[in-house]
Amino acid sequence: MNTKNRRIAIMVGAGFVPGMNAVIKGAALAAGKSGWEVIGIRDGFEGLLHPEHYPEGGLLVLTPQLVENLDPSAGCILGQSARVDPFNVRHLNELEMIEELDMSDVLLEKLKAENIDAVIAVVGGQGLSILYKLHLKGLNTICIPRSIDNDIASTMVSFGFNSALSFTIEMVDRARLAAQAARKIAVVEVQGAQVGWIALQAGIAAGADAILIPEIPCDLKIVAAKLREKITPARPYGLVVVAEGAKCVTPQSTGKKESSLKASLSPLAFGDNSTHVIHRSGRAAQTVAEDLQLLIAEETYPLVVGPWVRGGSPTAVDRQLGMAYGAGAIQALQAGQDGVMVAFNPPETQFIPLADAINKVRTVPPNSMFMDIAASLGINFGK
Amino acid sequence: MNNQTTIPSELTGIVLNIQRYCSHDGPGTRTNVFLKGCSLRCKWCGNPESIRVKPEMAYDPKKCKGRECGLCLKDPFPKGAFYFAEGDDSSVRINWDLTSGCDEGMCSLCPTGALEMYGKKMTVDEVLDEVEKDASFYRNTGGGITLSGGECLLQPDFSAALLKGAHERGINTAIETACNVPWSYLEKVLPHVDTMLHDHKLTIPERHKKWTGAGNERILANFKRAYETYPDIDFIARTPLIPGVNADEEHIRAVLAFIRPHKNVIDYELLPYHRFGLGKYESLGVVYQLDDYQTPSDEVVKHLQSIIDEAFGRTETAEK
Repeated sequence: MNTKNRRIAIMVGAGFVPGMNAVIKGAALAAGKSGWEVIGIRDGFEGLLHPEHYPEGGLLVLTPQLVENLDPSAGCILGQSARVDPFNVRHLNELEMIEELDMSDVLLEKLKAENIDAVIAVVGGQGLSILYKLHLKGLNTICIPRSIDNDIASTMVSFGFNSALSFTIEMVDRARLAAQAARKIAVVEVQGAQVGWIALQAGIAAGADAILIPEIPCDLKIVAAKLREKITPARPYGLVVVAEGAKCVTPQSTGKKESSLKASLSPLAFGDNSTHVIHRSGRAAQTVAEDLQLLIAEETYPLVVGPWVRGGSPTAVDRQLGMAYGAGAIQALQAGQDGVMVAFNPPETQFIPLADAINKVRTVPPNSMFMDIAASLGINFGK
Repeated sequence: MNNQTTIPSELTGIVLNIQRYCSHDGPGTRTNVFLKGCSLRCKWCGNPESIRVKPEMAYDPKKCKGRECGLCLKDPFPKGAFYFAEGDDSSVRINWDLTSGCDEGMCSLCPTGALEMYGKKMTVDEVLDEVEKDASFYRNTGGGITLSGGECLLQPDFSAALLKGAHERGINTAIETACNVPWSYLEKVLPHVDTMLHDHKLTIPERHKKWTGAGNERILANFKRAYETYPDIDFIARTPLIPGVNADEEHIRAVLAFIRPHKNVIDYELLPYHRFGLGKYESLGVVYQLDDYQTPSDEVVKHLQSIIDEAFGRTETAEK
């Protein structure tokens, strides 16, 4: 392959994470140093697949001059798309009926027509799988992992996590002080559908009484007993941090009668009673707060930090990480890599084949240093 | 689409489910036949497994034996489609983006039935033979067959053959539709329909497009044309009532203004938003977008129902 005069594209997958602009800056500056041209695709792959939606053009040339002041800013210069999956592109057909089309071949043809010979993709867990599928179809790609939850296993830390954690700690701190003033138990839901890193680390930092994470099914009776011990006249408040994917084993006593409409409207349904459902919008906090209140003689109230953490400027750590990941992707291309994910595993920057990077979730192990710290601080996990 | 030259009884369609003893989709006790495929993408959809036309794989973790089995991590299942997370979690996880190669044959290899296919190819006779099992109930209650979905009109030849065949067997027919299809599809099916339940989801076109993915201009035109072209069909309008979307007086009154001039629209039903389908989203690897939406309160439903009852001259009945 001609390593001179290369034309590289960079795209950003669905879901905003602080530090995107730092990644773009890192890649553009490192590429510029080699004399390569970097093209940004707007809104995932939309700018390439549907350039007619962009009066100013679906592609953006990322010159060093354009990106040099980009990294401290919030947002993403390339925009975002709610869905980025060229294998399932929703559209209205000629009969005005909605359907999903596989546009992966169209995408590859358009990349070729634009003389783009590699794509740097800034993606989360699902995006890695989609890029892997595109790689199997011939796309030369280097992926950069982004994750608020830090759940991508092959890298020690994804960019965006530190910003999310910092903001979460600030919010949980405030919740604790509010609980103290109100003499109640604050139940704060934080990000973490599959893994509990944010809940665990924020809970430790803010001095939570209990932390509930997806990795440890929790018994709320145990949490309630612990809170009874800790809440005294001298300390008449409590703080529980709940990851959104936390699993409680205390039987729910809803006992709702099943409607006869179910057979007509949704015959194969199993409703909210599935053990497989992760609620993403504050239900974890509400459920835990309500159930705890039934178990103890204290008032609880739910708060949700949730998606607030996705906004805002990146922390210093994420700016550095973003720049490093962006530059790392260019290093991968310079080394002739293809179909790999850049991984930050100090002291090395590694290139992990996508086939090995997908399907690995970085969960909190029982012997984690953070679990030991939490235990030594007397924090309860509901077990 | 099915071949027009095929003998009608041998026509095949993709059937999602056949549900017996239903009482909310037309007169009497009915058997609902859910067909696969939909031309809208309503954000509140309670049957996400019905949206795509093709059969698709679903996973029920409650049936899965996890690490005890692990068969789906081996050939012939697609590499990377199934995996285990690190740690003690023993359940199989699914990479939905890599499962597109999974078919009925593969799902049948799952010894516990945790993997199954939503959607099965069936002939007209196979469906009608199943439906006819409850013929005595239909006779006693005035019930029959109801085609639902998805959007049953997306398989117009199959639907028409099913309904025609039902009539030939003396079975009453109904369809449940959103009508987001070309009129030519309706023309094939409606001659064989006794009752048509049809959805007035939202009134304003831009809002209809926002919440369902498509505007409602053609839908409303289809409704009006159907009312006028088929005076013998009993039309029943319906609204899935979703707080914050359409559970308001303005929408109900707009629908009433649309339907009341047509005397063959015999009723207008409200279907309060439900969350029955929530678990199915996860079993298909799809995120449910209305997770924080709640069922409308009884007060709201009662109030809106009273407006409908008044419009249909049933005020006294409603107050009892």
